[in-house]
Amino acid sequence: MAIWFLPFSSVLLLVLSFTSPVISSNSEGDALHALRAKLSDPNNVLQSWDPTLINPCTWFHVTCDNNNRVIRLDLGNSNISGPLGVEIGHLEHLQFLELYRNKFEGKLPDELGNLKYLISIDLSENNLHGAIPKSLSKLKSLRFLRLNDNKLSGPIPRELSLLSNLKALNLSNNDLCGTVPTDGPFSTFPPQSFANNTRLNGPELLGLAPYDFGC
Amino acid sequence: MPNFRSPLLFLILISFFCTQLSCTETEVEALLSWRSSLKDPGCLTQIWSFNTSSDSCQWHGIKCNEGGSITNLSISANCSIDGTLNKFNFSSFSNLTRLEVEYKQNLHGEIPKEIGTLRNLQVLYLYGNLTGEIPATISNLSKLTNLDLSGNQLTGSIPSTILSMPKLHFLALSGNNLTGEIPTTIENPSNLKILDLSYNHLTGAIPRAIGHLTELTIFYLDNNELNGRIPLEIGNMTALRDADFSYNNLQWEVPTTITQLPNLSILYLNNNQLNGSITPDLGNSSYLKAIDLSDNKLIGMVPSSLCSGGALRYLRASNNSFNGLLPITLKNCTTLIELKLETNNIRADISLTFGVHPNLEDVDLSQNHFYGRLPSNWAKQIFLLSLGENEIYGKIPSGFLNMTQLQLLNLADNNLTGDIPEELTNSTSLMNLILSNNNFSSLRYIQAPSLESLHLSNNRLVGRFPLLQINWARLMTIDLGENNFSGEIPSWIGSSFPVLRILRLRSNKFMGNIPLQLSMLKNLQLLDLSNNNLTGPIPNTLSSMHTMTVKTAPNQSYFALHYVHEKNIDLIWKGKEATYQENIALLTGIDLSCNYISGKIPDDLMKLQGLIFLNLSRNQLSGMIPQNTGNMTSLEVLDLSMNHLSGTIPLSISHLTYLNMLNLSHNKLTGQIPPGSQIQTFIPSAFSDNDGLCGFPLPNNCSTQNNSVVPVTNEAEDHKFEVIWLICSVILGFVTGFWVYFGALFWKNSLRFAVFHFTDKVQEKIMKWFV
Repeated sequence: MAIWFLPFSSVLLLVLSFTSPVISSNSEGDALHALRAKLSDPNNVLQSWDPTLINPCTWFHVTCDNNNRVIRLDLGNSNISGPLGVEIGHLEHLQFLELYRNKFEGKLPDELGNLKYLISIDLSENNLHGAIPKSLSKLKSLRFLRLNDNKLSGPIPRELSLLSNLKALNLSNNDLCGTVPTDGPFSTFPPQSFANNTRLNGPELLGLAPYDFGC
Repeated sequence: MPNFRSPLLFLILISFFCTQLSCTETEVEALLSWRSSLKDPGCLTQIWSFNTSSDSCQWHGIKCNEGGSITNLSISANCSIDGTLNKFNFSSFSNLTRLEVEYKQNLHGEIPKEIGTLRNLQVLYLYGNLTGEIPATISNLSKLTNLDLSGNQLTGSIPSTILSMPKLHFLALSGNNLTGEIPTTIENPSNLKILDLSYNHLTGAIPRAIGHLTELTIFYLDNNELNGRIPLEIGNMTALRDADFSYNNLQWEVPTTITQLPNLSILYLNNNQLNGSITPDLGNSSYLKAIDLSDNKLIGMVPSSLCSGGALRYLRASNNSFNGLLPITLKNCTTLIELKLETNNIRADISLTFGVHPNLEDVDLSQNHFYGRLPSNWAKQIFLLSLGENEIYGKIPSGFLNMTQLQLLNLADNNLTGDIPEELTNSTSLMNLILSNNNFSSLRYIQAPSLESLHLSNNRLVGRFPLLQINWARLMTIDLGENNFSGEIPSWIGSSFPVLRILRLRSNKFMGNIPLQLSMLKNLQLLDLSNNNLTGPIPNTLSSMHTMTVKTAPNQSYFALHYVHEKNIDLIWKGKEATYQENIALLTGIDLSCNYISGKIPDDLMKLQGLIFLNLSRNQLSGMIPQNTGNMTSLEVLDLSMNHLSGTIPLSISHLTYLNMLNLSHNKLTGQIPPGSQIQTFIPSAFSDNDGLCGFPLPNNCSTQNNSVVPVTNEAEDHKFEVIWLICSVILGFVTGFWVYFGALFWKNSLRFAVFHFTDKVQEKIMKWFV
């Protein structure tokens, strides 16, 4: 009996691996649909998001690559409100997350750290609160991180200094506290990137003051 | 002669007289006090009135027995009452046998428990907005034969005793919000003849006790959330005629016992999760009229006995995995009106499939593996014929033209050849002609005045634009792409197609200018003229294409009905081909790429605020990109590559927040690439091969001005700052140290002497040591 198990299971695995691209395209559509369900969309910008279609690649504001995986989400300036659901973590090939100038609220989901191909996150000009997730430090391809003009609080995670590809960072107009990292890409960011955070205490003084001073 | 002076007799007479009046009086009082409790008594103010009749038993909707007691109480459809049953004094109406409140009143609130006291009630029909649960006391109504609470908003479970009521033969609870399971205790044998629980949220499995329903003729459980198996016991329901279990989550196989049912006429099992194969003798012992197995996971062959009763009219089994051959018995199924087997794996010779079908109207065999040549013997009255996505070859036979009522013809995605017959293209009934993706080689002029959509793409058709200059009052889609059509695009196009939404002439040999009159097409959403030989300018009046100027309104819905038969349009945007389905209704775009169009991009074009994609690439356009490009706020795709465009990229482009594909490469653009976070998401190749462009994301910085928004690193500046500080502090340190030391020596004698003395001593010591 057991001897048949091995070839059978390997055939099964082979079959499953062929079906998986189909499954995951649809799962990205499901994730987007679940995200949408939590949002209020008075301008009906998401009207084309029809979950019965085979994949979300013909939905407006969604861009896919040649394998029908979602790589861009462009919803800037759409008057959308509501939370940014954890389902965003299912869009594993996402490169550009452009949700600026809306009314997204709640916290930034930790699941953003799963999107290892992310190049740009622009969530500026929303109503987000809570801390900047440390998981963002896993995004090795990240070049642009714009979280300005929100209500983010807590410290700037030190781990963000590991993002060697980060070219532009804007955290201004928030409620961040503690000190600003100075190593890695942080040495290149101008002071405007951190302006208007009343509890932010300036660059960290290595060795002389504890990191989350005043946080 | 009775002796009236006898007191006993007098009492008897009085009491008789009193029972005449006083029985009815309490009932009338109860009626009137209920009426006064209503928020709006509607017509009752008038019809229950002593003005209309002094005898309440004569009131409209009221019937009494010989004793003057109310037996029937009905409130008719137009009465428009608004209120509850809470103040209805049920216990007053001991003789009530029928209580009917008809559609559609605003009868709301809950059904009071006291309804169970109407011990003589036989018929109860309440239609309104009743909420709350069905009271369990209803089972106390031992004489109840008909119970209809459909169309309310009742919640909770169906009382468990309700299917055990011995006299009940009609039970309808459809169209409520009932949850929970179907009661499993069913009277054995049951007197139920009609059971309708459809359109609720019932869960759980169909109880095996349905085998007790031996009198049941109509059984509706559709549109619920039932799961599990259809019980084998269904085979005991010998009276069953119409069974509808559609739109549930039923699983596993269809029980073979279903074939035993001698009276089965309608069987709807569609839209479930049924699997396995259907026994081939389904239909052998009955007179099946309609069967719907669509949208399940069934496999095997379509059962061959379905038509053996000689009554089969509607056969639907689409969207399953039926494979193998088609049963030959279908050929002799002369009663067929509708045959829908699309989206399966059926492999059969289409020329052998049909026999004589004098009633056949609707045939859909698309998305299967039918092969062979089209037969000639088509029934005259067919009006919907879909054979798309199969492997049929050969020509369209002349017998096809017998179908004089044909409205929809879909032969797309086959291997058909030859010419498209003139009779077909001149048909007065034809509304949708879909022949794309074949090898048709010739076509006479099309003159089908009822035509709504025309899909001829990807064939080998030649000649000029094939439609005649008539008023095509209904034509919404023209797709002639991927053929060899030539000549000019006619100028009368603007005035002859008032409702045209899609004009796709892509990949042909059309030449000449784009007619200005195209702008008259107010409803045009998609204009695809790419890959032709068009010359001349882009018309500067395109902003009159109204549909493209309007952003999608918040409540704009898909334009549904006309598109129900054909939903697929192939477009190339975002750099790759995509087949548009239902979303097509919301899409707006202009594609004029791959032509020889010259001149400037008209400023007028930028008024198209609803435009989602714009592709003007691979032409000979010159001049500047209009400054107000940023007005096209819906734009997602902008491709102007491979032209001779000059000047700077307008700053307003950074306002396009939905832009996700941009290609301005291979032009003569100069100046700085506009700043802005949306623009920064594009890669350098979007701007390549433009000699004068500079700025992010291109590696070459622009030599002038400040780039405050561009994220050029300020590392160099900071570094310089540090160096200056270092130098200053060193100099300062040196100067201070110098003056502290030498200053002290200079001014203070004693110090000077001490220092010199010390240095002399040291000098001596060192000399001694060397010598």
